[in-house]
Parts: sequence; C-alpha cells; structure tokens
Amino acid sequence: MITPEMLEGPQKITWCTGCGNFGILAALKKAIIEIDQPLHNMVLTSGIGCSSKIPHYIGGMNSFHTLHGRPIPYATGVHLANTDLKVLVHTGDGDCLAEGLGHFIHAARRNVNLAVFIHNNGVNGLTKGQYSPSAPRGYVSNTSPPPPGAPMDPVSPTALAIVAGATFVARGFSGDQKSLVTLMKEAINHTGFAVVDILQPCVTWNRLLTWKYYNEHTYSLQENGHDVTDRQRALEIAMKNEDRYPVGIFYHSKHADLAAGLALPEKSKLRDHTNELKDVQKIIDDLML
Amino acid sequence: MTMDISFNIGGEAGQGIDTIGDLLTQVFVQAGFYTFTIKDFESRIRGGYNFTQIRVSDKPVHTSVDQVDVIIALSRDAVVNQRERLAESGVIIFDNAVEFDDLEACHYPAPLEKIAKEIGGDTRMMNAAALGAVLSILNFPFRLAQEALMGIFGRKGEKVVASNVNVAKTLYDMTKENFAGTCKYNLETLESGPCKDRLLITGNRALALGAIAANLKWISAYPMSPSTSLFQDVISYSQQFKIGALQTEDEISSLAMAIGASYAGARSMVATSGGGFALMVEALGFAAMVEVPVVIYNAQRPGPSTGLPTRTEQSDLLFMGFASQGEFPRIMLAPKDPLEAFDVATRAFNLAEKYQVPVMILGDQYFADSVMNVPRIDVSTVTVDRGKLAKTGPSPEFKRYLFTDDGVSPRAFPGDEGKTIVSAGNVHREDGHITEDATIRNLMVQKFMNKIPRILADLNPPQLYGDKKAETTLMTWGSTWGAANEAMELLAEKGVSINQLHFCDVFPLRTEKLRETFKKSKRVIAVEQNATSQFAALIRMETGLGVNQHINKYDGRAMTPGWIIGKLKEGGVV
Repeated sequence: MITPEMLEGPQKITWCTGCGNFGILAALKKAIIEIDQPLHNMVLTSGIGCSSKIPHYIGGMNSFHTLHGRPIPYATGVHLANTDLKVLVHTGDGDCLAEGLGHFIHAARRNVNLAVFIHNNGVNGLTKGQYSPSAPRGYVSNTSPPPPGAPMDPVSPTALAIVAGATFVARGFSGDQKSLVTLMKEAINHTGFAVVDILQPCVTWNRLLTWKYYNEHTYSLQENGHDVTDRQRALEIAMKNEDRYPVGIFYHSKHADLAAGLALPEKSKLRDHTNELKDVQKIIDDLML
Repeated sequence: MTMDISFNIGGEAGQGIDTIGDLLTQVFVQAGFYTFTIKDFESRIRGGYNFTQIRVSDKPVHTSVDQVDVIIALSRDAVVNQRERLAESGVIIFDNAVEFDDLEACHYPAPLEKIAKEIGGDTRMMNAAALGAVLSILNFPFRLAQEALMGIFGRKGEKVVASNVNVAKTLYDMTKENFAGTCKYNLETLESGPCKDRLLITGNRALALGAIAANLKWISAYPMSPSTSLFQDVISYSQQFKIGALQTEDEISSLAMAIGASYAGARSMVATSGGGFALMVEALGFAAMVEVPVVIYNAQRPGPSTGLPTRTEQSDLLFMGFASQGEFPRIMLAPKDPLEAFDVATRAFNLAEKYQVPVMILGDQYFADSVMNVPRIDVSTVTVDRGKLAKTGPSPEFKRYLFTDDGVSPRAFPGDEGKTIVSAGNVHREDGHITEDATIRNLMVQKFMNKIPRILADLNPPQLYGDKKAETTLMTWGSTWGAANEAMELLAEKGVSINQLHFCDVFPLRTEKLRETFKKSKRVIAVEQNATSQFAALIRMETGLGVNQHINKYDGRAMTPGWIIGKLKEGGVV
C-alpha cells in the first residue's frame, strides 16, 4: 500500500504561493495512492518549466527531468525499453505546445502508451510571463506585439490530440480535485496515448486566467451527457475557441498501441533481452561467399 | 604475375550498375582475389551519371586508384566521362544500342541487351552479358566464371544459373571473335588467387552487425545519407533479435528516445549524418549530464548545410568533439574499414556503459558505402561489459550519482525494486534531485573530469605503419588510412623515408606515441579529407605540437594513393 508519507517530496517546493501546480501535485499523489501499483514500476518524466520541476516534489518515484519540449520522446524510449513501466509525462503549455508540439502530434499518431499531463496556464512562467502557445488571442505579455497582444489563436491540445490519433483525451482543472484525480487515474490506466489538458492559473503572471475566472468559466462535459466514443463531437467541442471551458473526458477509444507494432520481446522486455551471438555468427556466415 | 585491375561501371541511376558491380566482385572473390569497391553517385533516384569502381588484386587493397583498366558503360556519359582515366591498352565496353560514333581502338560496342533478351529471355541478364564480355577481354578462364555464377545464382535454381551462364558464355565467345583490341591483362593461365577472405561487407553493415553482437536493443533514427543503410540493416534483423527500432519524426527525438531507452536499461544507438547530428546536440549534452550511455554514429558527408549528400568528407570532427554547451567527457572513434568497424562497434557500447558517457563513431560516405572482402568475423570474442551496476535488491539509500573515486556511479534502472532512480538535466545532488549549491556543482564537474584518465587508458594508442625511423610521417585518422597507407608503401618501396601514424581512437587524445613520433619524424604531414586539417588542429590544442604540412581534399571524392603522391610531389616532399 502506498502512503502519503512515501510520496513526501524530497525538496522544498519553489512554486509561487497559490500556484495551480499545487493542485496538480496533490491530485497526482492521490491518483498514485488510489491506483496502488508498485512505485518502482512508475516513471515520472518531465521537460522544462515550473510544471516540469514536479519530480523533485514527490518522493519515492523514479523520474527523468529532461529538456524543453522533449519529455515525450524521452518517455517513449523509457516505455519501450521496459513496457512493464507506467510512464507519466508532466509538461507545460510552453513545453509541450511550443518546442514539443511536433513530438506531441507524432506520439498521438503512434498511440504510444504514455499518460501526458499538460499543466496549462497560458504563459511561460519560469522565464517570467511571456505568452505561451495556449494564450488567448489578444493576451498581453512582455513579449507579445503591442498593442494587440498575442496576434493569433491559441493551440488547442485537445483538438490536436483527437485529430492526431490519441485514444484518451480529457481536460481537467487544478481547482477541481475530485474530477482531476479521476481523470489522471483513467489516463494512467489507459493503454495508449492519453492526454489530460489541465487548466491551471499562474497567479504571478496571468491576470486573465485566474482561479476565479476558471471557477466561473468551466463546466462538466459528463454532466452534460457527452458521448466519449463520438470522435467527431469530441473534436467539435475541443475546437470551440470561446471563453467557456468544458472539463472531463472528450474522447476515449481502444486501438493497438505503438509497442504492439514493434519487434519487442514477447516474454521479457528490451532491457533484459539478449541478442544470441550464435545467431549473429550465422548471419555473418550466410553473408560469406 | 601481379594483378591489380580496376573496373569502372558507369551509367544512370537505376540502370543496374550495382548489380553488374556485385556480380563482378563476387566472381573475383570466389576466384580468390582481394577486392575493394567504391560507389560514386548523385543525390537522385533516376538518371544522372553514377559509377561503381572495383579494384581487384592478388594483394590486399584498401583504396581505389585513379587509373581504370576496364570501363563498362551503360550510358553515353559513361562512355565519355572516364575516358581520360583509362589505362593504356584499357577497354571501354558498352551496349551497341548506346549512340556513340567516335570509336577508338579502346572502344568495344557489344550486343549486351540483345543477347540477354535472345539467349537469356530477360534483359536483366545484361549483367551476365557484360560479365562475359569483361572476362573474355581479360582472357579469364570461363570455367572460373561458371563456378562463380553457380555460387551466386545457385539459390535461385538451376534454370536461372543455366540462363546466366549461357548469356555470359555467348558474350564471352563473341568477344573473342569480334574484339580486336587487347588488354594488358591476360589471365588465361589463372588458377585461383591467394585470397581466402570471403566476407563481402560495407563499413555500415559491419557496424550494424557489431552493434547487434554488442547487444544493441534500441535504435531510433531519421533517414539520412550516408548513414541510412546501417539503420535499414538493423531493422531487417530486428524481428529476429527483438531489437526495438523506430523511424522518428526528427533527429531530436531519435537521440531523445535512445537516451530514454538507455536510462531504462537497454543498450541504445542512433545513426545520422552531420545535419542530423546538429539536431541531436542538445540531447548529447543531456546524455552527458544524466550520465546515460549512448552510441551515436555519424556517417559524415561534405557540409555545411545539405552539402554533397551522397559524397564523403571528414569535416565533423571538431563539431562533434565540442558540440553542446558545457564541458563533459565524450569518446570519439573513427574506424578505418569494415573489419575495424565491427570491433569499434562492440567497443563503443562497452566504453559508453563503462564510463556512462556518449560515444560517437565517426564514419563517412567512403567508409559507409565501400565494399571489401574481409576474413570471416568471429563473434565469439565479443564481450559485453555493462560497467558498474548496483547490487540487486531494495536499497532505499541508493543514489544514482554517488560520488566515487573514478567518477563512475553504479547504475540501476527504473523497475528495479526498492530503488528510486532520479535523473535530471539540471545540476543535481548525488540522489539526482536538482540543486544550485556551489560545492556540489564543483564536485559534479570533478566527477565528470575524473573519468577522463581512465577513459584514456582504455583507448587504443595510434598505430605506426612502416619504418619507425622514417623522416617523413603521414598522419591520418579514420577512413583515409587506406589511400595514405598505399601511398606510403609505394614511396617506401622507391626508397623514400616515410611512415604513417594512424588514429582510430581520436578523442580524448592519447598522446604518448604521438609525441614520440613527432619527436622522431622530421616532417609530419596531416592527410585529411577536409579543408582545415581538423585533426591536426585538435592535436595542436591538446599537445601544442604542430604538423609541418597539410594535404587536404574537400571535393567530396575519396583520396587515392596517386593523388596523395601527387600532392607530396607538389609540396616538394618527394
């Protein structure tokens, strides 16, 4: 059994007081406790940014804190070398939707078995508040062109994930712990590419997407009778670029994952598998004239 | 008699140059000769002008030469383009359907396609027809050709063998009657050559097989000439050996995935060329920071940018040696030929895991695509050294980056019960969690640097070839070994006091033998397939020693012994 004490963070948290990341960290811990699988078979990977510091704030977890935009390909390698592992990716909007967007699309297309949690706050927080790819049109920051602010529509990670082929696509809100824990659990237990876009206020830089704003502008998909198997409808909802944010599962389906299509060992895993030297010798001998 | 014949088979891409080349090579290998084949082609799928050049000798050969004895031309360009390289009494064979009227005594238009169709019933047997014509011109005993054809086509059944033999024999006899010219080689009395080496192999394939023997379990790559054939080879064996392999969206994710797989315990590599390596640079630094072993193969080609995609150069040495922000140990190995490549591949993985550093293999198009016959590779000597591994079983106090005397901390992998493996690209503590503490930063940098003396002791020193006391030294690394070695031997035979200092393990640099040679030699000449003598620059940086002269080639075409001797003459050395 996993206890909260086992998950106690090894380092002092550096996030700002009131940061939306606290809610995500709390939900992650709850999800791991409730899933109750051996901790040594879990790996938490992350990229760069406030969100990606999460491996240092949770104890007893294997972790791989990688490069900006790149956690998904690193996580893909970890997963395929040992498919017994549950591999989680914690990434931010600045991380996953800017430098990492190409990897995100291709990972969804491959339906690689990862659970990706996007800490989405519309800003690049750690570099001090520049607009991120998910900032709404017109969002004013220290790098957006004056006067109109961000001169483009935001990236929709849910819509892109659905189009690209992800098989579990959801949106959560850091302030709605109960449903966020459920979504994270489902994403982790899902076999295939699972994405949870997690709305999260940046209390220091983002004056627009605040706790109050999200509390007033989110609504539950499931309470409104959405059919999670309807991909077209899921996409329609995900593409709505308006100031009301549906929360819950957009789309959920079953498809063969990437590992099923690769030449991986059936009974063991790559990390424990050995190439037989006699077979290499046979190839060489067959090449001889 | 001494035999040293060069064949040049030229034509458009897609015309079957490789097939004729393969056939010819196999015939001579079966007959007991040493062969060395280079491929010279353009970056296009159809058309253009490409050639394969095969050198056949009764002595070991490791390079191509400038002069060709027999040209097999499949297009008009091919009839014309190599004319000035044709040896005295050489022959140019071409299909009589090729429009070419300026006939000289060396030209031999033959009905290759016609006979292939009439006798063999398939124009694809033009290869056998060309073979028949070539062998006839050389007076090569047909019996040997027949045996070789049986060996080559035997698996396809008697009918295929018989048709090919018939086509070849028809052209063989026809040529005897119709071709008035002569070739300086008359192999009529040939029994069989002295060579017992029956493994025809390229540098890329030898690396691939070496990697598999070294227990490669993960490869990710994005196709890029001239590295692609290695990736394809591994893929072709992946089902049999259960090797995880993925063509990724870019080289950034190739190396990222390989590092991820290695962090989780699988031996991993990537293959690319310079442009792809440019995209891998951030991941290279990450691998170094998290001390996750990985092998990176760069089949170099001329740059910058797209450069000459299908040609050769050694110009990424300094780029690879210094790529990434920050400072960390890395290892660079440059195999000289396919035989050494197999060994380099197995060493690369062991070095990477022993020292938990990135190991880079530097090939180039010449190394990657050239084919030679080597002795049977015996894999029984291959050992897998995974370096320091943590004891199995629970260990709550396990620290992935434990400070040790030699800078290497025992590894464990996620999935190992009772251990937590924490890795980060930030400066980190022994337990892997991030820190900005100045003392720990210093200790972590020293941990990196502590690895270098042991790495150096584990690398091979350079090899000195020829007279130890010679006045002049040719200094080479990687694939230019063959051309320089032959140039050195040719000159030494003529009484020139010359030797060759050659490096396979290029970085970190072992300097003992280097210093000794620089001391003894009056004149050290760097021979490099680049414009700026990058290896000589590296030596100056590491030792303060400067070479006396430079020979550089950067047109994308491989060096030949004759070209090097010409440059030595220009430089007043001989």
